[in-house]
Amino acid sequence: MAEVEETLKRIQSQKGVQAIIIVNAEGIPVKTTLDNSSTVQYAGLIHQLVMKARSTVRDIDPQNDLTFLRVRSKKNEIMIAPDKDYFLIVIQNPTE
Amino acid sequence: MPVRTAKQMKPTLKVTKSRTPNQSTSGVLRVNQSATNTRSVNSSVHRKSFTLAGDSKVLDKGSVQTHKQTVQVFDETGKDVTPQPLYQPEAGALQPKQSKIFTNHDTSGSTLSDFLSTAYQTTNASFAAPFTRSVFGSSSVSRSSQSTMESMNDEIEDPSSKKDISLSLSDVQVRREEIKEQIKEHMLDCMVDCYLTETETIWLLDMPALSVSMDSEEAEVVKSEGRNMAYQELCKNRLGNDKYMERPMQTFNGAPKAKEVQSDSISMVEKATMATHWDIYDSYVSDGGAGNAADGASPTKLDISTLHRVHSSRPLDRTMSGASAISTASTSSSRIDTEAFVVQGENESDPEDVLHSEKFLQDLLVMERAVLENIYQPKLAAYRQLPILPDPNREQKAGDERDGQDDVSLNPALERLWAFNCELTMGRNVSNMAWNKKNPDLLAVGYGQFDFKDQKSGLVCCWSLKNPTWPERIFHCESGVTALDFSTCSPSQLAVGMHDGSIAIYNVQSTEKTPVIDSSDCAHKHTGPVWQVRWVENEHGPGGEDKRETLISVSADGRISKWFLRKGLDVKERKIEDSNIYLVGTEDGLIHKCSCSYNEQFLGTYTAHIGPVYKITWSPLCPDVFLSCSADWTIQLWRQDLFTPILGFTSTHKAVHDIEWSPRWATVFGAVNEGRLEIWDLGSSILDPIIVSMARPGVKLTSLLFATQTDCVLVGDSGGQVSVYKLKNLNAGEGKEVNTLHDIIRSTLASQL
Repeated sequence: MAEVEETLKRIQSQKGVQAIIIVNAEGIPVKTTLDNSSTVQYAGLIHQLVMKARSTVRDIDPQNDLTFLRVRSKKNEIMIAPDKDYFLIVIQNPTE
Repeated sequence: MPVRTAKQMKPTLKVTKSRTPNQSTSGVLRVNQSATNTRSVNSSVHRKSFTLAGDSKVLDKGSVQTHKQTVQVFDETGKDVTPQPLYQPEAGALQPKQSKIFTNHDTSGSTLSDFLSTAYQTTNASFAAPFTRSVFGSSSVSRSSQSTMESMNDEIEDPSSKKDISLSLSDVQVRREEIKEQIKEHMLDCMVDCYLTETETIWLLDMPALSVSMDSEEAEVVKSEGRNMAYQELCKNRLGNDKYMERPMQTFNGAPKAKEVQSDSISMVEKATMATHWDIYDSYVSDGGAGNAADGASPTKLDISTLHRVHSSRPLDRTMSGASAISTASTSSSRIDTEAFVVQGENESDPEDVLHSEKFLQDLLVMERAVLENIYQPKLAAYRQLPILPDPNREQKAGDERDGQDDVSLNPALERLWAFNCELTMGRNVSNMAWNKKNPDLLAVGYGQFDFKDQKSGLVCCWSLKNPTWPERIFHCESGVTALDFSTCSPSQLAVGMHDGSIAIYNVQSTEKTPVIDSSDCAHKHTGPVWQVRWVENEHGPGGEDKRETLISVSADGRISKWFLRKGLDVKERKIEDSNIYLVGTEDGLIHKCSCSYNEQFLGTYTAHIGPVYKITWSPLCPDVFLSCSADWTIQLWRQDLFTPILGFTSTHKAVHDIEWSPRWATVFGAVNEGRLEIWDLGSSILDPIIVSMARPGVKLTSLLFATQTDCVLVGDSGGQVSVYKLKNLNAGEGKEVNTLHDIIRSTLASQL
């Protein structure tokens, strides 16, 4: 547990990290460093994206599964680590 | 009159071959007529009665023959082969004969209905029916007026026959059984003769024509006599006849009534589901365990276990799939439903537990690496000698372009990439570094003081290139770490030598903080600080095992120990590059050459250094050349067979702590003295290093490590940092290095002589 907290702090302190959002399986944000409305928006949209991505991966080979998803955009990069019980979302702008 | 005849004729129906068909016609006709007259049950009979009454004349005409006897059939030999009716209405009145298909009738009083039933039964049976019909048919040829009657008879026959059969069905069955019984008894005893005769032509369907052509013979008969004329006369008489009266009729139309009915609107709901490939696979996999179980108990257990970790919408899906697989749907599905509710309750209570799962920690680490990769991407690309791609979205500042131009310079230079550093290591002295043999991205760094003062507890950190900000593994040791080496055979084992003389072996794969093996309890452990540990491959180990690795350690108490993993031994063996020869450096500046075979004596001594020898390193590319460095500010280049150094290098007046040959270029080595890092290239200059990099102020550089696959240099300092430098523009070639080195040596030796 302490390691989890430490790691979260370390990630938070890295250069360019804008937000960390942890969403549980029901879509409720458990932990966030962003304001509430943005968090809810991110959680909902990313949930759909991850479902689609996972469905794609598993349709090709049902024994495969999605482990990590990175969405690189002009302004930042959204990194998502999905799991059955949660989503871990980190938004970073590395060129800051 | 007809009744009489009918009564007389009722019992039997015998057909004889000699008789003409007409005779039989008459008999049967009379039967029918009487039947229609006497029976009042059939409504159809009533309807047709008037016509029959009219036809009775015809019948009478037709019944010219007075043959009122039953029909009998005889074959050539005079035997009576009269077909018997299948139905016998009376019990005990029969004499079954095998030759006869139908049994004989008694004349004693079978009822009319019975006779009719027999007649109709025969009509329904195979032979007599067509026979009678053919009889009818043949009669109609002669007399057309009988055609309608015949059709009516047919009609009459059918409904009445049906009724007769239904009414007398029980009788028929009884009779049949009796018939069978009698037959069986006789069958047992006597021989049975079967006679098969050719039957007459069987007419299965005869639809007599209702119209006759004008050319035929009957045309005149039809025209002149008969019903046609009668009908025409009837029509004529109708006009002014009192018998016929015009009369209107009206049908009542029922009054329509509108009736309204209202029902609940049927609400339509669209329900769609997507059967994706993986959904089917999941259901199949989860039911595969359910299918194997015989009862419904274990499938529900399976669902329980899968339900526990699933959020609210998912259990419903799984119950659907689970319930569909379980045969006992009713009971088990109700159980699953209750469990679904239970699970929801559980989920509400621990939304935070997500954070504590092991998987979450792993994901966090991966995420951290991903984040860091974004930050350090250019540096890592430089490390791996990949082209550094500029970020296309990055705003081009003026400063960037300037930096780009600086790199164009062709001087050999060091570029600082990054540094392994974190708060834990702040302030610690880097004493030793070692690469992992199997994973070239894994670096073990030992932190510990060299001298006796300021002894802190030691630290070993395993760093990964993917995360320069936090080590992967941290091992705290009791005393300062002075030596490190990774094992080759089991790459996850790290041997650590410490300042108090103990050696510990850590397993870096596990996250445990304690060493696997510790030598502090060993009796023969070192009493002085362990300066070097090395895993050596044992070519010929005791017991015939090959490639077994042993640990060799050198310590300040003057002993070289070879350790087995189970216990320590004091065999003074140590192998370096060469299989049997090893070199030992001492504190008083002597370098001894020893052999494994001789445990007590030195083979030779290399004398040159004045101060303690800190490091000896063989050249990885030249087999018998080695370097030594010591605190007397010099680095000496030796060849194995000469006991005086070939070359000595001095640059500053500082003790040289660490030297290492470059693994790629035979003429390049690096040296670390207290203030700076020096890269020497003997091919270009033997007097001065080609690259000199100053340390940060206040920090002393203490250790050096070359990266094996890339041209980077790692330098550890007393501030706890391990900096990674990239060698650039080093003009040393590849292939001719060894020759160059040999040439230098030869030339030097030649010049010395």
